[in-house]
Amino acid sequence: MLPLIALSGLAVAAAWSARAGAESAYGDANAQPAPFNPQMAALMSMLIQPRHAKLGLAGNAENWPLAAYALKELRQGFAVAARAVPRWKGLPVPELIEAAVDQPIKLIDYAIKLQYRRQFDEAYGRLTEGCNACHATTEHPFIVIKAPDASAFPNQEFEPKR
Amino acid sequence: MTFPFRLIGWRTGLRRAAVAAAAATLSVAAWAGGSGFGDDDDDSAEAGPSYFGFVRDTSGATVSNAKVTVSLKNRISIVTRTDALGTYKVPGFGRETDPNEIEVSCGKDGYRQLRVVRRSTPSADPKIPIETECTLQRL
Repeated sequence: MLPLIALSGLAVAAAWSARAGAESAYGDANAQPAPFNPQMAALMSMLIQPRHAKLGLAGNAENWPLAAYALKELRQGFAVAARAVPRWKGLPVPELIEAAVDQPIKLIDYAIKLQYRRQFDEAYGRLTEGCNACHATTEHPFIVIKAPDASAFPNQEFEPKR
Repeated sequence: MTFPFRLIGWRTGLRRAAVAAAAATLSVAAWAGGSGFGDDDDDSAEAGPSYFGFVRDTSGATVSNAKVTVSLKNRISIVTRTDALGTYKVPGFGRETDPNEIEVSCGKDGYRQLRVVRRSTPSADPKIPIETECTLQRL
């Protein structure tokens, strides 16, 4: 009796194993590709946090063309995030972003155009405060953004070409 | 004498296998139905919609640290203050409460309340807050 039960067990395990090969815990290899639909956390990590860092690094190096580019990218990142996730936990994302970063972004834009480092630093600080204020409003105060103290992009030069 | 013990063990094993199979099926189904990459934590619905909004001045700028009172007519009032973004949020008063009976007012030293505008109609989704914008005018 015991060998029979063991044999049945092995057969069941083998059947499950074959099924698992066709459709793993990570999905079905034969399925149609699903639309890529990143949510807020992924959007922030992909589109906002690195661009905020690059903007800070470019401003710190007084590389104004690069800073202007990074600011444009950051602004577009916010627009994409707001369009992709217009409401997050019921809260209106476009309005939250506007309240948090719109004014500092305008001030950074002026500072870049004037190539005025002190105003850039002040406005960048306000931008960073806006990020953290928004995290607090959306009950994520533990995500604290700061001005970068080192580059996370070893393959990119932030110093301007002299 | 040992047979009943083995039989019980076999049945228990089958039950465990069935539970494991069901769990595996459910986890695959849940993955397949997942819509997003990096889905955020999604809390369960609150009992009744919460109340959220901005307090702004007449130029449209948000006003932080403004006093906001959210009242259920003649019964309960919750007083809060706007945060750094000029927003307030108050939890729901319960599913049985009619959101149309909720009144919002705002104030701050040096300002007077100009208008209060409800920006969204009560939603069936309790995760969507009732939005009310309050505008202050500088004295």
